[in-house]
Amino acid sequence: MAAVHLENIFKRYKGTAQPAVDDVSLSVQDGEFMVLLGPSGCGKSTTLRMIAGLEAISEGSLAIDTRKVNEVPAKDRDIAMVFQSYALYPHMTVADNLSFGLRRRRVDSQQIAARVKSAAGILGLNELLARKPAALSGGQRQRVALGRAIVREPKVFLFDEPLSNLDAALRVNTRNELVRLHRRLGATMIYVTHDQVEAMTMGQRICVMNKGKVAQVGKPLEVYRAPADAFVARFLGNPPMNILKACIVQGPSSAVAALGGSELPLARWARAALPPAGELLVGVRPEELQLHEVREGGGTLRGVVSAIEPLGAETLLMVSLEGDAGDVMARLHRDVKSSIGDRVGLTIPDEALYLFDAFTEKAIPAADVGAP
Amino acid sequence: MTSASTTLKPPAAVDHREPLTAALSRMLRNGGLMAAVVLYTLYSALPFLWIGTMSVRTTSEISANHFAWPETFHWEKFRIAWVDSNFAQYFWNSSLIVVSAVAIVTLLGAAAAHCLARYNFRGNRLVYFILFSSIVFPPQIILISLFQVLVEYELYNSRLGLMIVYVSLQLPLTVYLLEGFFARIPQDLFDAAKMDGYSDFEIFWRIVLPVGMPAIATTIILNFIQLWNEFLFAVVLLSDQGSRTLPIGIRAYMGDYFQDIGMIATGMMIAVIPVVVLYAFFSEKLIQGMTAGAVK
Repeated sequence: MAAVHLENIFKRYKGTAQPAVDDVSLSVQDGEFMVLLGPSGCGKSTTLRMIAGLEAISEGSLAIDTRKVNEVPAKDRDIAMVFQSYALYPHMTVADNLSFGLRRRRVDSQQIAARVKSAAGILGLNELLARKPAALSGGQRQRVALGRAIVREPKVFLFDEPLSNLDAALRVNTRNELVRLHRRLGATMIYVTHDQVEAMTMGQRICVMNKGKVAQVGKPLEVYRAPADAFVARFLGNPPMNILKACIVQGPSSAVAALGGSELPLARWARAALPPAGELLVGVRPEELQLHEVREGGGTLRGVVSAIEPLGAETLLMVSLEGDAGDVMARLHRDVKSSIGDRVGLTIPDEALYLFDAFTEKAIPAADVGAP
Repeated sequence: MTSASTTLKPPAAVDHREPLTAALSRMLRNGGLMAAVVLYTLYSALPFLWIGTMSVRTTSEISANHFAWPETFHWEKFRIAWVDSNFAQYFWNSSLIVVSAVAIVTLLGAAAAHCLARYNFRGNRLVYFILFSSIVFPPQIILISLFQVLVEYELYNSRLGLMIVYVSLQLPLTVYLLEGFFARIPQDLFDAAKMDGYSDFEIFWRIVLPVGMPAIATTIILNFIQLWNEFLFAVVLLSDQGSRTLPIGIRAYMGDYFQDIGMIATGMMIAVIPVVVLYAFFSEKLIQGMTAGAVK
């Protein structure tokens, strides 16, 4: 197994001003499961393809362990990749698909047979070895694609959204299988996805990307609880974090954020960390909002219920805040009693409040929290 | 004793027969379709059957009654055509020229189509446009120039010369047909093969050709039929009797004043056999190619 180091990696395409991958630096430790997470077009697949050697690197350095591999062809990087579309050779049987790469590397036939048998055993493919891909289900094809990577015994495994073509139930099962596989093999794995559930449940660390840049790297719960900017805050969490524009008002002892006729205390933040005046962004996760009757007082938002989504296990409530401050989504207990048009109050616990700079959208860490 | 309110009535019988009008409509639709299929089959097969019957009748029998069923089957006509009329030589010439041309066109065309579909090089679209535009022009307009070129390079009246001409005639259409199919092969297959360690040529040989076989089979059949029946270039560019192809051999039975219909029919039956064999061999792949995109 091996560590992968990306230093100041750029990818530029002819005719486009903005690089597809813009100064990405990232280290994946030996045996780590790293997830590259981001929306479509953020550069995560391009980054993965550069690691694989399928795309040339415009600028920067890529190393596997201590070996710089910028100019090393894909076949010599000792990397195996599982593609979104599985990329199984349709004219070959499952057994041939598994052994195709090994035959090219002149591995002797006994070794090939042994590795194919082992991979087929791990993935439950023994009954399917004589079939062609057209005769397999989506989940079976996915396992064959995985098996083709395993037989190579590579230093690094790369996954390019391998679960996106599976139905929801199969996705959950296969996700767990991949996590078990990682534990079993102890391999270095880099996994690309746009699905935050996959990222949160599978990754030991996640790297959130946006517009070609790295927005944040960290353990899933750390990134969730301490997002580096408003983009990361919105991207992780379902429903996404509520982010609203507020005005800073300096008080005698501490500042407050004025929002929709309410004032949210900002005692947790050092005055020096806050802008002296003007706007800032206030964030709160839907699950942190507490619903109650309208009452006056700091830390309470007031508004009118505009939509209710009973999901069975919980209820989502959309509230339009007073003073045209915007809408917030609250995630509440399934038995909450409310109707559209009700005037309600929402309390934000102090520790659940997030602040972001209105211009840079970077998080402003509270005094009791380190910078992300 | 039971009251009327508690008496259970048996459920009303459900009539599973379809309504009469719906049944009639279905029969008419199926019958209409069947009639159309039968008519088209007769339209295609009857001329072939007619030629087949004429191939075992003498010319005088045919003159007496064009459409009669053979009273005596004159199988010796095939021997006469094959041996006495030199059809064996013509068959061999046609086979040599056409099979070689089709093999070269298939390999070259597939390779060119793969490059045009897969590689982004300068002039890619220009090459494609030039190839495509040459399909538009009727090949007859280049006949005289071709004649002069072949004479210049001492390839006139040679089987090699005609084979080269056939390759150049069929290459553009082959590339055009295959390029569209190859472009639809997912890029991931190539990426996977690259990561498995295969070179560009190996990927073409081991992945593109097998995966593209339905389209390739289609072009093989089309090219073979086209070239096997090709007459104009063969009659202009081959003058030596020993180099003649089958279509020219059949033409020999047509004189200025007399046409040996019986032997023409026999010659045509000999000529059609390889086409039928080829189609039988490749038909499964042809149908696969036609229906490849039908179901996701």
